[in-house]
Amino acid sequence: MLRAEPAPRILTVTQLAALVREALEGGVGSVWVAGEISNLRRAPSGHVYFTLKDEQSQLDAILFRSGAQALAFRPADGMEVLVYGRVSLYPARGALQLYVDRMEPRGLGALQLAFEQLKARLGAEGLFAAERKRPLPRFPRAVGIVTALGGAVIHDMRTVLRKRWPACRIVVRPVRVQGAGAGREVAEGIEALNRLGGLDVLIVGRGGGSLEDLWAFNEEITARAIAASDIPVVSAVGHEVDFTIADFVADARAPTPTAAAALVVADREEVAAGLARAEAALRRALARRVEAARARVTGLQRALGDPARRVHDLGQRIDDLAARVRRGLLGRLAWERREVTTLAARLARSGPAPGLPRARERLAGAGERLRFALAMGLRHARATVEQAARRLDALSPLACLARGYAIVRRADAAGAVVRDAGTLAAGDAVALVFARGRARARIDATDPEEEP
Amino acid sequence: MAEPDSRGGPAGRFEDALAELEGIVQRLEKGELPLEESLAAFERGIALVRSLGQRLAEVEQRVEVLLKSEAGKLVLRPLENDEE
Repeated sequence: MLRAEPAPRILTVTQLAALVREALEGGVGSVWVAGEISNLRRAPSGHVYFTLKDEQSQLDAILFRSGAQALAFRPADGMEVLVYGRVSLYPARGALQLYVDRMEPRGLGALQLAFEQLKARLGAEGLFAAERKRPLPRFPRAVGIVTALGGAVIHDMRTVLRKRWPACRIVVRPVRVQGAGAGREVAEGIEALNRLGGLDVLIVGRGGGSLEDLWAFNEEITARAIAASDIPVVSAVGHEVDFTIADFVADARAPTPTAAAALVVADREEVAAGLARAEAALRRALARRVEAARARVTGLQRALGDPARRVHDLGQRIDDLAARVRRGLLGRLAWERREVTTLAARLARSGPAPGLPRARERLAGAGERLRFALAMGLRHARATVEQAARRLDALSPLACLARGYAIVRRADAAGAVVRDAGTLAAGDAVALVFARGRARARIDATDPEEEP
Repeated sequence: MAEPDSRGGPAGRFEDALAELEGIVQRLEKGELPLEESLAAFERGIALVRSLGQRLAEVEQRVEVLLKSEAGKLVLRPLENDEE
């Protein structure tokens, strides 16, 4: 090659910058590079600027908004990351920059890191607080389910709900539960069921899967929708061991969708058994109560004695008293009469002259005493009879009537007193005897077993 | 919340009726009620047992799907493709 006298080639700065850029991009190209993030700044534009460094060197780096939004986790200072990008020159500042396309955390997987970060953030906001948890209704009338339609999950939940509590209505909001945008669909499903209204509890979940498969339940949008739900939410991600963010936010967590179905409704057979127990307890308690009342009545009856018998006794006593009064009076009368007779005989015997005035005087005195004794005896007898009559009156059925009782008699000629509802039939005519007056009535119905 | 009717009928939520029943059983078991109130409580309790039992027995499962219509509105459709 001929070397001509070289005219010095003068480049503009822009041309040089373009040359360097080409050299860099062609010579280095896209690379994976490991380093630690420092000096991270988020611009209002959404781009993320940071410095990637190791012990000896550092490089400015930029992560454009689109790339930053695609990250599941949030890069932060001090974080060890693996980035994929190209090194180039930013001509405006003549600065060497690493243009980052992808970023992954080192150590923990990206999803795991995102999970830990979101968990820490929402936890700090208090979204997992125990006092936020709402109780689930014991007997929901309607259950909303946000999950994928088709497949075993919804079928298994229906089976469990039908077996335990078929009374409850089920509204399913079908959503995609994995893949890009699944979190948004789950969140919108929760919102849609809240808007629908009439639901008492929600189940949000899916069957088991890998951390990636379950990712929709670790997304912030899902967690926020659960927290914002007016209806209590049960998370049901089929993942026995690990928790999802949805599990932490939800009002209750079930290890699988079928477990969630069993959790939200009571078991019909258990409730039926409980009802049978309640009925037995009611009958026992009432029987005890009636027995106690009956025992009390019996006790009082014994203490009171039989009123009819007392009336009878008293009547007999009055008869006795009357007889005694009569006997006493008659006896006295006879005695007085005998006395007069004796005196008259003695008078007759002693002759008229000397003893006559004295005899006449004694006769007059005896007559006086006789009248006096008669008057006294009668008064005493009257008082005794009156007192007895008053006591009789206090115990008579008429006094009962005065206290508000009524006597029921058959309305036939015999007018028998009715003591047993069993002797009556519907349509029978009866007469009611009150303290004042009477009334006629007809029987509507009888209940011979009923206790008073 | 609807008041349960006097015969333990279907008004009111199941749990309200059940709570009322539990309260009646407790009151009656304490034995402090006057006899007439005991009887009334017993009758109410038995009515509740009957009505709750009937509610347990009568219903069959209803499943609907909340779908988005072409106009973007949410509509309820019965789900019947999954019956055994």
